[in-house]
Amino acid sequence: MPEHTVSLQAYAKAVLHCAKYPWATVHGLFLAETRDGRIRHVDAVPLAHTWTELSPMFDVALQQAQLYAEAKGLAVSGYYVAYEETDAAQLSAAGALLAKAVLALNADAVAFVVDAKSLGPDATRAALIPFACVDSQWRRQQPGFAAAGKGAPFVLENNRVLESTKALVAARAEIAIHDFDEHLGDVALDWLQNPVLSERIRAI
Amino acid sequence: MSNAVQLLAEIRQSSERRPFEVLKLAEPLLGSGGGLGTGADAWLAYEQVFVAAIDDGEMELARAVLGRLHKRFGAGSQRVKRLAGMFNEAAGHAAEAKRMYGEMLAADETNVLASKRLIAMLKAQGQLGEATAQLVAYLDTHGNDFEAWLELSALYLRQQLYPQAAFCVEEAILQQPANHYFHLCYAEINYTMGALDVALKEFLRVVELSTDNVRGFYGVRLTADRILEAKRRPKKEQPAWADAAPQPATLERLSELATERLLSVYGAAGAAPKRAAEAWLQQS
Repeated sequence: MPEHTVSLQAYAKAVLHCAKYPWATVHGLFLAETRDGRIRHVDAVPLAHTWTELSPMFDVALQQAQLYAEAKGLAVSGYYVAYEETDAAQLSAAGALLAKAVLALNADAVAFVVDAKSLGPDATRAALIPFACVDSQWRRQQPGFAAAGKGAPFVLENNRVLESTKALVAARAEIAIHDFDEHLGDVALDWLQNPVLSERIRAI
Repeated sequence: MSNAVQLLAEIRQSSERRPFEVLKLAEPLLGSGGGLGTGADAWLAYEQVFVAAIDDGEMELARAVLGRLHKRFGAGSQRVKRLAGMFNEAAGHAAEAKRMYGEMLAADETNVLASKRLIAMLKAQGQLGEATAQLVAYLDTHGNDFEAWLELSALYLRQQLYPQAAFCVEEAILQQPANHYFHLCYAEINYTMGALDVALKEFLRVVELSTDNVRGFYGVRLTADRILEAKRRPKKEQPAWADAAPQPATLERLSELATERLLSVYGAAGAAPKRAAEAWLQQS
């Protein structure tokens, strides 16, 4: 299992996607660069907050995200999902299939289920439960995210990621995130880069 | 005063859930001792603020607003009682909420608000099977409630029961045959199930019923291309519907038309999405 690092950009965008649609299941993709066998998830591309069990628009978005990633020297590296049920800790059957579509593009792809209980202002751990596909089944990777620097398979890029994300949520930064669903209603919205939000995250 | 009150009314009209904005608009008005407008509209606004408050976890504010509503409409008001039930749900007092809704139904077994809250509670507790059963029972007597059909469709989707979900959307379409949103939902469910012939027809209906519907055109392009690909396979590997599907020439023309419309709409898109969409559309 290669080591996975999740950057502030990727983590914060995924969390803010949840914050914008707290009543709904939301899902999206991570983009990563690979260096020396280490996978760095450097960005998140939010996909949908409606009809998340349905495949056609997911197919279009995945293919376009792949084209975008390639142009930037990145790869689509992960599928993240935050379920409506706040106690969810497993990929749903639909989610497993969608994650497999990502796997078809990238054999190192992983999936993350957002742990709603770790999204609050008092959380001390990453709110992502990692899954890897082993023998065609998505299996939860224990021990999950470890504190930065401990050489565990899944880490956040540094120990400021959680606090910075909480600050962004408290400041209601989710207003600036636009997923593919929103883009389909208004093509002027940049669901791939979310540039205004990216800048905000860089500046925090 | 009138501006904030107007904005609250607009948000009510849109039926979007925007608790943060609602509270931001309402709090200054409530704080100043004034109110949320005059007449019947004011009470609609109070109800709206109450729901926003429980949405955002502002339980003290919710309690205060509920108090005002109780004072105005009294203990007999079923509408206020439902809000009190919702307060209990939000505060984690599920048993108390259930009891209140049970009382409402005992007083009037056709009380739609109470039945729906009970179903919503089952859903929130993850009891999808039971929620489904009760919603099916509800629809037996309220078959013209298209929103309930869509809610049931969503419940079926969460249980991977795609044909059942599709059937529910059919019921909604029967009631509103010109609603492109329903056709879109139906198209996407059918696509997901692999019923590409139905999906194509429905995506075409969507673009017929609306203007430059991007989802619709993506659907037409995707489905036409996939049907073409299916028809190119050896006969015995083709899906059952392949014979009934349109001819390759028609499918190619549909794919071209969808591509044309999408390229035109994407002229106004942001740089990165435009590049990605154009690259995707140019793929054969």
